[in-house]
Amino acid sequence: MLRYIAQRLLMMVAILFGVLAITFALSRVLPGSPIEMMLGHRPTPEQIELARTKLGLDRSLPEQFVLYLRNALRGDLGTSLRTRQPVVRDLLDRAAATFELVTLAVFIVIIVGLPLGVTSAVRRGTAIDHAARSVSIAGLALPAFFVGMLLQMLFYGWLGWLPLQGRMNSEVLLDHPFARVTGLYLLDTLLAGEWTAWRSAVSHIALPVLTLALASLAVITRITRSLMIEALGEDFVRTARAYGIPARDIYYRYALKATLIPMLTVIGLTYGYMLGGSVVVEYVFDWPGLGGYVVNAIIDNDFPAVMGVTLFLSTAYLAVNLTVDLLYYAVDPRLRQA
Amino acid sequence: MKSISKLVIGAMLIATAIGSAVPPTARAASNTATYAMYGDIKDWDPAVAFSLEVVMLVNVYEPLLWYNPPGSATQFTPALATEWHASDGGKTWTFKLREGVKFHDGTPFNSAAAKASIERTMAMKKGAYYIWGAVTAIEAPSPYTLVIKTKTPTPIDLIASSQYGAYIYSPKAAANGTKWFNAGHDGGTGPYRVRQWAKGQQVVLEKFDDYWRGWGANKFDRVILKVVRENATQIQMLRSGEADFISLVPADAVKTLSKEPGVVVQLLPSWKNSQFLINVRKPPTDNLKFRRALTHLWDYDTVVKDIYAGSASVAKGIIPTTMWGHNPDIRAPRFDIGLAKMLIDESGVSKAQRKVSMAYIGTSEEYKNSALLFQENARQAGVTVELLPGPWGTIWSKAKKLETAPNLQSMTWWPTYPTPNDWLIGLFRTEKKALFNLSHYSNPAYDKLVNEGVAAEGSDRDTAIAKYRAAQQILMDDAPAIFYADIRTRSARRANIQGFKDNPAYNAVFFYRIHRGN
Repeated sequence: MLRYIAQRLLMMVAILFGVLAITFALSRVLPGSPIEMMLGHRPTPEQIELARTKLGLDRSLPEQFVLYLRNALRGDLGTSLRTRQPVVRDLLDRAAATFELVTLAVFIVIIVGLPLGVTSAVRRGTAIDHAARSVSIAGLALPAFFVGMLLQMLFYGWLGWLPLQGRMNSEVLLDHPFARVTGLYLLDTLLAGEWTAWRSAVSHIALPVLTLALASLAVITRITRSLMIEALGEDFVRTARAYGIPARDIYYRYALKATLIPMLTVIGLTYGYMLGGSVVVEYVFDWPGLGGYVVNAIIDNDFPAVMGVTLFLSTAYLAVNLTVDLLYYAVDPRLRQA
Repeated sequence: MKSISKLVIGAMLIATAIGSAVPPTARAASNTATYAMYGDIKDWDPAVAFSLEVVMLVNVYEPLLWYNPPGSATQFTPALATEWHASDGGKTWTFKLREGVKFHDGTPFNSAAAKASIERTMAMKKGAYYIWGAVTAIEAPSPYTLVIKTKTPTPIDLIASSQYGAYIYSPKAAANGTKWFNAGHDGGTGPYRVRQWAKGQQVVLEKFDDYWRGWGANKFDRVILKVVRENATQIQMLRSGEADFISLVPADAVKTLSKEPGVVVQLLPSWKNSQFLINVRKPPTDNLKFRRALTHLWDYDTVVKDIYAGSASVAKGIIPTTMWGHNPDIRAPRFDIGLAKMLIDESGVSKAQRKVSMAYIGTSEEYKNSALLFQENARQAGVTVELLPGPWGTIWSKAKKLETAPNLQSMTWWPTYPTPNDWLIGLFRTEKKALFNLSHYSNPAYDKLVNEGVAAEGSDRDTAIAKYRAAQQILMDDAPAIFYADIRTRSARRANIQGFKDNPAYNAVFFYRIHRGN
């Protein structure tokens, strides 16, 4: 087991190196220069020259890459040309916001998608199956920015129930300070006992989470449904039925358990996908996470930030995959014996 | 199934409870103003800031002088200087400074602080430091007298009112360095101080109790600069009253928003203008008649009326009509395909060579649609236009080198401080190595007029104006660009905001000068 983990970790390092090399090469080969972004709208030739030297753009590409790797190993990913802050600090500030959003969305996808998939499988062809299919396909078919804007119009524009954008009400953010322990507002406000701030955080995260969850709900629901249909046709289900075990136990205790391995893979992939795919949702709701950060970084040729986010997201994706693989061991006794 | 229903009902109950507990559209208190800005502040150091920071800068810092909007009785409003005069033919500027002013950190404002401030900005060579390029010495002969000396006659009054690079800041704050500023700190004398910076979310400015002008009733105690990137979101916030000002008003939203009760939309003259620069050294646009023909293939009226939806007026030359020094007698080309055809035939450019490339910032709908219209009109005159949309960085780096430069490229320009020479020098004066003169234009007669105008600006503004006017006509005759749009700023705010006055010299709202009516 330990050997397996060590192998996987080594592979992760190799993959990350490859990702960095490709991103680095691409960002330097593509036309355009980060200099004008760094210097504002009217740089002088002297400023341009100074900036070139400071960014190391006057050195050869391999030299620049080695320098980047050396600094990265020391935990220094450079300074963002756009925000003027160290990339590592920017990433830490923003990763928590994205993590909070994506984790909550995945949680909702699981608690809604799994039962919906099971129900659709058990009641194949009934109204509830059709309804579940329609809702999930709609969630998949409609672009996230459109769903987000619809929800904004409905819940902010018409009903006035939920806020439009941001992570917290401006005045609450100012007047109800709380320590940033984890960076997760829902948790930090609870730890600080700031109820007003907590309520504001919950109301602000509701729409972005819903938008993000809707997009992935279809995948989980449909896959659960087909896996369940397959499982329900298995001998052990027939045996269980013959024993007179209550239907509910058969579905949720036995059949669903048999689908867990492929389900874990799908959930892991969904999680990884959402980490990178929350860009649009973050943009629509001005969620101060990695999504908005990377979009602006790409637009502005902010090399250090793009590299930083790539490194961070790749690491997160690989970590999620590793966690899923380890969870296989936890849920499947056969793997443990092997 | 039962458990699912329970779960759903439970979730709905919780959502309703939260929803009712926090009114999401909770209007800010009446003494709080909210401005939706499309991006976050990046450079907090006033010596470095050179972008949308102006929204914060004009409220937190003060320069020696504020420039008044065109049409005002006087050109300047005294800020940290109360009196000033030029001597030595515009090479020595003496400012009498305001007494009893404090920086936000408690340090008193005096001539030593002003001197240190400008000297630091110059030495750092960041942002708009170059506006002080002509300065040779800054002296502080007495605590409230500041003397600025320049090598050539220079309009230091105009420079001191610049929206970037001219703010006076506390020497104590400056000693902390740029890193300290960039953590969201300030060192100004302005009416507001920075209270909070939640990165990527908001900047909160709070009134500075010791502000030298004092605080009467009705003033905003707090200003929230909220980061809202999407224009649709900004509009919704303005509609609901959650935002008092928005920074993104799309052209197609002007009509609908102006019908909205409680909202005021205005198209305000700005000093921003757009043109397509024509490369004068690259065939076939190295041919003067061919270039002039291109200027007649531009449908000026349709572009500003339909494509800019009224948020621009037809330009008359390179200097916007509301900037001092603009030449009102300029002979501008008109849209005339027949005339263009004639000029092309006379130009001697062979039919096979009648092909031009046209680069523009691809994300701009206005550029894109204007370029498409031009392409069609040019086709009717037998000229093929190859469209090259792209990001500004790429366009700029290609346009600088003659080998990779297109024949035409989009350019929107505005001045750093209120002077017409910003356009005349920046875009068209001869450059050994192209920086922003992307037409690669060089005309000694033009250069001479501009240089003489600049030299006269500090001492004899009427002479400067005469020189600049002549230079503008030369540009029209030489056709190094299609000058087509003086941009109007689309401004939208809540109708109950009173006292708002637009000033093209500063792309920002002065919150101290406005209040909320009933």
